[in-house]
Amino acid sequence: MNPVIELQDVKKIYQMNGVITPALRGVNLQIAKGEFLAIMGPSGSGKSTLLHMIGALDKPTEGKIILDGVDISTLKESALARLRGRKIGFVFQFFNLHPTLTAVENIELPMMIAEADKKERQRKALELLRSVNMEHRARHLPSQLSGGEQQRIAIARALANDPEIILADELTGNLDSKTKAEIMQFLLRLQQERKMTVTIITHEPEIAAYAETVIRIVDGRIAQGGS
Amino acid sequence: MKLADIVRLSLNSLTHRGLRSWLTILGIIIGVAAVIAMLSIGAGMSQNVQSRLSGFGADIITVSAGSTRAFGSGGTFTDRFQPGEPPFGQSSSNQSSSSTTSPTLTNTDLTAILSADGVEATTGIISGRTSVSYLSQSVTITVEGVDPSVWNTMTTSTVASGRLLESGDGMSVLIGSSVASGMFDQNITVDSPMLISGKTFTVVGVLKESGTGGFGGDDRTVFLTMDAARNILTSIDPSVFTSIQVKATSTDTVDATITSVTNALYASRQVTSDTKDFTVTSPTSMLATITSTMQTMTFFLTGIAAVSLLVGAIGIANTMFMSVMERTRLIGILKSLGTKNSEIMKLFVMESGIIGLMGGLLGVFLGFIVVGIISEIGFNLMGLGVRMAGGTSTSVAVVTPQLVVFALAFSTIIGIVSGLIPARKAASLQIVEAMRSE
Repeated sequence: MNPVIELQDVKKIYQMNGVITPALRGVNLQIAKGEFLAIMGPSGSGKSTLLHMIGALDKPTEGKIILDGVDISTLKESALARLRGRKIGFVFQFFNLHPTLTAVENIELPMMIAEADKKERQRKALELLRSVNMEHRARHLPSQLSGGEQQRIAIARALANDPEIILADELTGNLDSKTKAEIMQFLLRLQQERKMTVTIITHEPEIAAYAETVIRIVDGRIAQGGS
Repeated sequence: MKLADIVRLSLNSLTHRGLRSWLTILGIIIGVAAVIAMLSIGAGMSQNVQSRLSGFGADIITVSAGSTRAFGSGGTFTDRFQPGEPPFGQSSSNQSSSSTTSPTLTNTDLTAILSADGVEATTGIISGRTSVSYLSQSVTITVEGVDPSVWNTMTTSTVASGRLLESGDGMSVLIGSSVASGMFDQNITVDSPMLISGKTFTVVGVLKESGTGGFGGDDRTVFLTMDAARNILTSIDPSVFTSIQVKATSTDTVDATITSVTNALYASRQVTSDTKDFTVTSPTSMLATITSTMQTMTFFLTGIAAVSLLVGAIGIANTMFMSVMERTRLIGILKSLGTKNSEIMKLFVMESGIIGLMGGLLGVFLGFIVVGIISEIGFNLMGLGVRMAGGTSTSVAVVTPQLVVFALAFSTIIGIVSGLIPARKAASLQIVEAMRSE
């Protein structure tokens, strides 16, 4: 197996007002290219922290995170930003769309940040909008869209820069069961069509069932699955 | 992120905050408009004074009785007063230290001045205000008694019609342009009869409008020969002059002539610089005094206006801090999508810079309007003086292109500087924490 993501004894300790809270107590994990992984665990187990580490949104207190052969703990802030923008697509529980940009502009935003050509990025944004069946909502602001619609825009945005990895944190947490199934089917199709590596966090077994591999995190350690 | 996209996102955020953005911009608008108005009025006033004083003969020096230390240009005030009255601005200690009676200027002084270095000619003048009637309408006007043989060679004024006074003229008067038209209901022309203190005079000449209140060019003065004036201004002692006008040999040596005239008068009047009882002024020295007084005033007023600009700057900083707090989550999102800290910083600085620039642009515009209104009111308030001087050519306020450029640059810089600290705060936010905030 050729891992696209490798975690070596990753520890994360939060320190707030003198209180030390260990969130990750030494995690070793390898995720293969094209793998669909689900991370499960009770709230407070450290699963979101783990996803943030993989996505270079936060730095580990100890240990190494190797993304595509590069130890990202050695990278500077601007290099990390570029890595996030080009290699990783995030999908969040609360959608996290830019509130004053329209649906199509939100999809364009990562390409704007990556300094893509203006015409090319507009063309691609429309194409992605079509692929999530949202072209009729192109000029709507996020506040004018339903939860399911917002999440579809968020997924389209995550795909904008053709990332190798999609990281999703409770992406169905705010959706009704019909929409949940719809979104998961869509994600599964993407993963298979584009051969992308997908890692999702969920506490719902029926969502985890979409994944090839499921690991459980308890108390900052992998309790089941993983390597 | 490209600069064009940073501008786009900044404008997007500003327009979506609508009223709040405009209120912040308003703070800068008012500040910039106030500074523009103050500086323009300052520039206008100094231009006004300069253009008015340029009508004076640059080589003419005025000597008047009494020493005015508080106000250097006292000559213009003192020579409007009758001898015997303390000149305006003269301190009582000054008077008592020199003599028990008020100081006067006499023929002795005239002789002393004539012998000083750098003096080409000199003449005594008496002046006072008295009732002048024309066609049964009476107006109190300044009348000046002059010696035509010398005065005609010194004056910078020319006649619009008729002629200057001549030595032999008895009951003839030369009138300023405002006396001829404006001060009386009916315009006065050459050969018209005028009644001054009950005596009938004939107008032999009308002066061209000079726009100045200075020597030989006063638009609101009636000129008579010395003998005729003494018959009218009987309260002035026959041996006394209200002021003495001195023509320097060259405009380049006016300062040296002032010194030599002053020294000659020290000797003849037996006074020192401490007991000095006369004042020597020239248009140049008056200009310097007035200009520096006005500069101080402009500086002071602009300072007050600058305070409002400072308040505007604090308004920007406040708005930007609020905006960073409100958009903490958005900053986290932007960073998760690959935006660098430096780009987050640029986004916020761009926003505050745009607020500053917009405030500057609209402030300059409002400043123009304020300056326009003040110019209008100024003409009415400063009144007759300006209008009689031909209000069209003189201006109360001047907005220079440099001032506009300066205002725009300054307001933009204020915007950028006010946004720096909030922007740095925004850039330094931790992604995960930022995205957790509501």
